[in-house]
Amino acid sequence: MSLAQNFSRGIVKDNPIFKQVLGMCPFLAVTTSVENALGMGAAATFVLVFSNFLVSLFRKVIPSKVRIPSYIVIIATFVTLVDLLMNAYLPALHQSLGIFIPLIVVNCIILGRAEGFANKNKVLPSVLDGIGMGLGFTLAMVVMATFREILGNGSWLGFNLLGESYQNQPLLIAILAPGAFIIMAFILGFFNIMEKRKRGGVK
Amino acid sequence: MTGNRMFDLAVSPHIGSSQNTKRIMWDVVIALIPALVAAFWFFGPRALMLVAASVGAAVLTEWLCLKFMKRPVNFAFDGSAVVTGLLLAYNVPSGVPWWIPVLGSAFAIAVAKQAFGGLGHNIVNPALLGRAFLVASFPVLMTAGWIAPMEWKDGHRIDVQSCGVSTALLSESDELDALSGATPLNVLKQTFSWEGEPGRGEEVRAMLFSKQSLKNLFMGRVGGCIGETSAIMLLLGAIYLVLRGVLELRLPLSYLGSVALFGWLFGGSGWFNGNPLFHLLAGGVILGGFFMITDMVTTPVTKKGRIIFGIGAGLLTMVIRRWGGYPEGCSYSILLMNLGTPLIDRYTRPRAFGEVKKNG
Repeated sequence: MSLAQNFSRGIVKDNPIFKQVLGMCPFLAVTTSVENALGMGAAATFVLVFSNFLVSLFRKVIPSKVRIPSYIVIIATFVTLVDLLMNAYLPALHQSLGIFIPLIVVNCIILGRAEGFANKNKVLPSVLDGIGMGLGFTLAMVVMATFREILGNGSWLGFNLLGESYQNQPLLIAILAPGAFIIMAFILGFFNIMEKRKRGGVK
Repeated sequence: MTGNRMFDLAVSPHIGSSQNTKRIMWDVVIALIPALVAAFWFFGPRALMLVAASVGAAVLTEWLCLKFMKRPVNFAFDGSAVVTGLLLAYNVPSGVPWWIPVLGSAFAIAVAKQAFGGLGHNIVNPALLGRAFLVASFPVLMTAGWIAPMEWKDGHRIDVQSCGVSTALLSESDELDALSGATPLNVLKQTFSWEGEPGRGEEVRAMLFSKQSLKNLFMGRVGGCIGETSAIMLLLGAIYLVLRGVLELRLPLSYLGSVALFGWLFGGSGWFNGNPLFHLLAGGVILGGFFMITDMVTTPVTKKGRIIFGIGAGLLTMVIRRWGGYPEGCSYSILLMNLGTPLIDRYTRPRAFGEVKKNG
């Protein structure tokens, strides 16, 4: 696998959300607005890249029996960094993401990449993989948040798209929990259809 | 898709039955018409308009979904979409704008029914899920759109006293316009929040449980959703269904019995002083108990299971009415029990002839 593939794979082909269905917790919970989705995507990408970097760097040093706790310690270090930085410089975003920042520690995507990729690969491919997966995650978050924010609030990234009259009576369910599941189901269904078409199965 | 081929399976011998989906669905539509008459009488032409919009949207959505999924589009006219559209419209207040039932029907058909595979594959009642969708999306419209009965006719305003709502409800801070639209269950719910004021709640509850109030509930002269208020008209439809052999009475009777029992048990303040008749007639229990809980797709197939389903739904209805966040729990109780249907079926599966009980 070439370096370019290491990078590009996570964006569409092996998208962590749409194809691997990992990281559902932040995907369902903080995609209520595009701003939150971008913030969460950036935070997770940051942690992912650096944890992949360190895990890959220490892959020959960490004994295999204690590798998971070691990964968690590495990941938690960067999550704490992000948490404190965000609290200092982006307090509003930090407020709205709330508990989901510390929860990045147990994000399946990050642990999954550490265990499934960085653990077995050299540093450069691991970092590229982290960037690609992080971008794929952010992209998925933004796609989901686009549907939810436009339907549920009539706006996109805070810009009023559908007008005052819509905002007074929006499709509130889209930014509530059930709406997240419904929209996710439709997005995943769409990707499944695309996949089938590509394989020349059901038309 | 293999299209119609999958329905051609036939293994001999068969007993022919005149019952089929189409006949059952149109029978249900006929049975729902008396309630439509009552809706017109009490809530005016506006109610008819909302029902028509809802049914139209349901059938159109069904047709579009089938077209999109390349399935035979004549399924859209088997009556099931009409039933869903009717039931959804019966479940919204008559004061809502026209697009509310349209959106609800479209959601009910497209998401609750077709997305799960169409008729026979939906896991919950589509009309009720449509209603839940509307309540979650437009909480203000769906809980404040009540119109007092007969208000649409000039000079024929409802007598507040006879409606079971007394002036005792009014305190200095209350606004009169809230009173005109309140449903009996709204009022009942409100009395539960007056625990600290002895006497006040008692007085209003006595008014609600009075003969006059029960008569109004039976006839439908109360605020409520379009098709749920008139118990007598709904019962007429239910009798028609029983005579046609469409309605199996285990579910309705166990549900109504359970509502009456638990209504008496904790439907008032404290214990054992609720009015079972009030809880049967108020809100959507009659509509839900005869037309929605009986949905063949989403309820258990075993006889024992159906009784368990009815009792559970009745208990949930009363728990929501007494302690829940909404004044009425009928729709949510049926939805919740719908989700338990596979489990109930699993545990009430009758033994096959000759099967030995394990560890017996």
